[in-house]
This record gives sequence, C-alpha cells and structure tokens, in this order.
Amino acid sequence: MSTPVIQVRDLRKAYGDLQAVAGVSFEVADGEVFGMLGPNGAGKTTTVEILEGLRIRDSGGVSVLGMDPATSGRDFKRLVGVQLQQVALYPRLRVHEVISLFGSFYEQQAETEELIALMGLEDRRNARIAELSGGQAQRLSVALAVVNMPRLVFLDEPSTGMDPQARRNLWDIIEGFKAKGMTVVLTTHYMEEAERLCDRVAVMDHGRVIALDSPSALVRENFAEDAIEFVSNDGLSEHDLGKLAAVTSAASQGSAHSVFSSDIPRTMGSLLDLAQARGAPLEGMRVRHATLEDVFLKLTGRTLRD
Amino acid sequence: MNAFLPLFRTNYRDFVRDRTALFWTIAFPVLFIGIFGIVLGRGDDGASYEVGLVIEDQSPQAATLGEVLAGFEALALTQGQRDAEIASLADGERRAVVVIPQGFGASVAAGTPQPLQVHFDPSQQTTQQVVIPVLLRAFEVADRALTQTRPVVTADFRTLQSERLQVIDFIMPGLIAMSVMNGGVFGAIAMVSLRERRVLRRLSATPLPAWALVGADVAFRMVVVLLQTVLLVILAVLIGGVSVKVENLPALAGVTMLGGLAFVAIGFFLGAFAKTEQGFFPVAQVITFPMLFLSGIFFPLDTMPDWIRPLVSAMPLTYLGDAMRQLMVGGAPVHSMALNLGVLTAFLVVFFGLAVRLFKYE
Repeated sequence: MSTPVIQVRDLRKAYGDLQAVAGVSFEVADGEVFGMLGPNGAGKTTTVEILEGLRIRDSGGVSVLGMDPATSGRDFKRLVGVQLQQVALYPRLRVHEVISLFGSFYEQQAETEELIALMGLEDRRNARIAELSGGQAQRLSVALAVVNMPRLVFLDEPSTGMDPQARRNLWDIIEGFKAKGMTVVLTTHYMEEAERLCDRVAVMDHGRVIALDSPSALVRENFAEDAIEFVSNDGLSEHDLGKLAAVTSAASQGSAHSVFSSDIPRTMGSLLDLAQARGAPLEGMRVRHATLEDVFLKLTGRTLRD
Repeated sequence: MNAFLPLFRTNYRDFVRDRTALFWTIAFPVLFIGIFGIVLGRGDDGASYEVGLVIEDQSPQAATLGEVLAGFEALALTQGQRDAEIASLADGERRAVVVIPQGFGASVAAGTPQPLQVHFDPSQQTTQQVVIPVLLRAFEVADRALTQTRPVVTADFRTLQSERLQVIDFIMPGLIAMSVMNGGVFGAIAMVSLRERRVLRRLSATPLPAWALVGADVAFRMVVVLLQTVLLVILAVLIGGVSVKVENLPALAGVTMLGGLAFVAIGFFLGAFAKTEQGFFPVAQVITFPMLFLSGIFFPLDTMPDWIRPLVSAMPLTYLGDAMRQLMVGGAPVHSMALNLGVLTAFLVVFFGLAVRLFKYE
C-alpha cells in the first residue's frame, strides 16, 4: 500500500453559526477517482476548497501530497489542478488564449492545442468565452484544471449545466485522467456520475460523511435486493406495500412508489393481487437495481436534488 | 514561467475588445477636447477684444507704447477721449481702457516711470483671464522697446503674471489631468470585475504571485494613461491651437505617470470595498465628480470662496492639474512643483499601501 495522496482527519469548518464541515475524515489513494456525493450545502465544496488551499480550516488534520495546503502556498499550488464552480473567465478572451494564459503560470504545462483536442473544443478554439455554451465553458474550466499536468486534480461539480450528451463526453475525459494515473477528487450531486466514475464515494450530508465505500458496495450494504417502481395515484400506502410478500422495505413519494424485494416474482404477484383487490391502477411499472440515489434516500430521508 | 507578459497581453486584449472601455478612455476625452478646442480654440482669424486707448501724453514714448499695443492681434484698439472711453467700458463696448497719463514720456526719460491706468470690469472672467494677460505681455514688449535695462512701463496691477493668453490654454491641461484621473480610478474596475466573476479566486488556486497580477494590471493602466495623454496633447495643439512647451514634454510624461499611479492606487483602494462592478461605479463617481469642478480644472482656484479651500487642498487632482498646467503651457503656479509632486507621491504611497492591505481574492 502506497501512502495516501490525501489524508483528512476530523476536519471542521464553520461560517458563523453554520457548521459547514462537522468532523470529516477520509483518505484518498494514489490513482483513485474519489467522489463526494451530496446535496447542495452538504459541505462538499467547503471540504474540497480546504484541500485545495483556498480556505483555512478551523481544526483537524489535512495532508495533501504530503503537504499542508493551508501553509504550503505556491509550492503546493504548482502540483495540483483545480476546477471551481461558477467562474466566469475573461469574457472577451478566446479559448486558446485563456489556456495559454493559465499555462504561463506553471513551469510544467500541457500543450495548448493538445488540451483543446482532448476537451473536444477544436471548433471553438477561436471563440470568445462569452460565446461558449454552458457545457463548453465547463469543459474549458476542466482543461484549465489540468493545464499543469497535475498528479492530483479537484473537480467541483464539473458537469453542472451540461446536457446528457456533454456529460457523457466529460465522463470519458475524466476516465482518461484516471487511465493516465491521475488522482481525481470529484464532487457531484448526480448519483449516476458517481456510480460511473468513482472508485469510492463519500456520501455527505449536513457537513458529515454518512457513508464511504465503492458505489456497488454502498448499494449492496444498504440494499440486498432489487426494486419495483410504479406510479399509482390512490389507494396504496407505504404501510400496505411493506406487507407484501418478500418485501424488505418500501418508499413512497407522493404517487411514486418503490418496493424493495428479495424475491421479485413473489412480490410482483402479491402486488398485482393487491392492486386488483383495491382497484388501484399501476402505471410505468419497472424493475431495477437499487442505486446510490436509493442509498442516499435511505440514509438521509431526502433525495439528492432537494 | 514568467506570467507578467501573458497577463499584460490579457489586459490588452480584454481592453481593446471592450467597446465601453474604449469609449470612456479614448473617445470620451477626445470628444471633450474636441468640443472645448472648437469652442474656445484660436481660429485663424483669432478672437480679438475691444480695448480703449487714451493717450494724454504727446511724447514719443507714449507713441511707441501705442504702436506696441496696436501690434497685438488679440486687441482691437480704439483711440479716444478718457471720458468717452470709460463710458464705453461701462456700456460693455470695451473690455478694458488703457490710459497713458500726461507726463508719461517725461517720467520714463527721467527713470521714474509713472504707472499706466488700466480700467476694467473685474467681474468679467474673459477680461481677467485673457485681456489682462495680453496687456501685461504688451507692456513687457513695450518695456523692451523703450529701454534695454530696466522696466519703465509698469501698471497698477501685478497679480496676474501668467504667460497664458487664452482660456483654452488654461482648460486643456486640466482636461488631460481629468482623463488621467478617470483612466486611473475607473481602470480599477477591471480588477473588481475579475473578483466579481470569481476569476481572482481561480487565479489564487494557481502559483501565480499576487505581485505579477497587480503589476501587470498597473503597468497596463500606465500605458493606457500615457497613450491617452499623448493623444490629447496632440489634439490640444491641432484643434485647440494650444502652444505646448515642447522642452517640458518628458517631464509632462513623468507627471502623467505619477498622477496615473496615484489615481490607480485610489481606484484599487475603492475597488477593495466594491463587490461588483455596479457597486464600484457610483463610489468612483462620488470621488471623482467633485474633483472635476473643485480642483481648478475648469474654474481657476482664485475664483473659489475661502470656505471651500480646505476641500480643494485635499484633492489630488488639484496638484496634478496644477503640475500639468505649469509644464504644458507654463501656467501660473498655484503651488510649487515640489509640493505638487510631493502630494501626488503621498497619495500614491498611502492609497497603494491601503489597497494592498485590503486586497481580497474574493
């Protein structure tokens, strides 16, 4: 086992009365894609910005690449790549001009044209930043995060504002980073993104890590079963559904119901019987595996988008 | 790894592609100079002012003085009797009346010159600023014509010793000082905008040192302010017909830089308090606008009431305007050049120090 790239121990940070990070501990291994999943305000960004050296922690131990980001200054910043949320770059500069500018801050810099190609921005090379779509601007900001060819890169909600196609392109790019041996720390509130990309995921809520494991292990630990999903506008309560054959748990949000079952055919049979007896319609019924979204709902009682 | 030049180039690109910035830094001062130049500038025919001449002495010296006065194109001379000319002055048909009293020639010959009498209406600004200086100049010329050794022609007034001949010469250096102020203070908006759009925060995540960021910005502002001044001086000469003291141009460039740095420092200081561009603008306006009217840019300081003097003395533009006027057209000093430069340096040091202390990446 090599030394972890990041070690965080009992990290705390408050803004006035708000305890944004309330005792977080984790480690990130070399070459890992590490996800931080949680709704807005869960403390993901604050945690990541402390690791980037942009915020000063109140207490706790932090070691990133063997350094303390709070005190290592420029030596530290040379080695990591950072993507921040909501940065509106120079609107009148062109894509290639911004990449060259950021490259000039580092001794070791990636080739501008290679980076443009890697991000699929070739046809936007000479476009002004103000003319980029949300997804293109987001890809540019990811490009800037790797302009110094860092060993460790932080991406803070990189797929925000992207359409599904752009998001998939970005996932390919991030998988490319991993293939090159880079360590990636990624925050997101898209569980699909975390499931697809991350070796391990820290699920955060209210400034704490409430679960930490690989996506599949998280699902397995929390759900030994698959789910039947359907919409029924009346007559069926969570309580009724929980009593069906082979059901382990049931969750209802309005007229949308999820029934977790250890034996799908048996549960399905008794669900159909119940629906028929009650005269309740079953619409859009499908069977699926449990996801991180279900894990989050189970652990916090809330959905990720809340 | 040197990020200074790329940052400087970025500032340049950001600036030349920003039409609003271009308008305020180039087109607006050019319009200003153009309008003042056309309204106040010397045309080919030259504005001339009605001046009455009363010769009560029949000596050759009096005749020489009369010829010298007649030689000044800016003066439209009418010779007449004292009572009639004074009456014309009262009616507003004359700007001033010069009386060469009886015995003038004899007194010059005797070496105990007798003062001329100059009647004028002190409430008229043009007379104060233009006619009186022209007369003084004429008297100097007459002096030299009458004797090489010592002044024999003196007048009852000696307060105005300026070489300036026209309002335009007074206004133009002030307008240029104004544009240096605006270029400096409003130039800081670029940094406020970077902070507002979180670019500064993004830059703080790179190893870019703060001095390179600030240095490239200040250097670029200085280049803009300097080019602006060069352009405006040229326009002042071409459109306004201002006679610029060419030998002082290097010093004028130096004062432009010093003033520009002082106002950039003030802009950075104000920018430290502004969260957004929208928030910066009114604050900068409140600081710069009173200076336009109270630091002797458009109105001479000696026309201002005493109670406002302390405020005038606290304004950096007062000193920049005075320094530029002295250097550019040889205007009458309000303060010594040393005081002007000292005050501007003090503003630069104090506000740059404060700006550095208050600087925030977000």
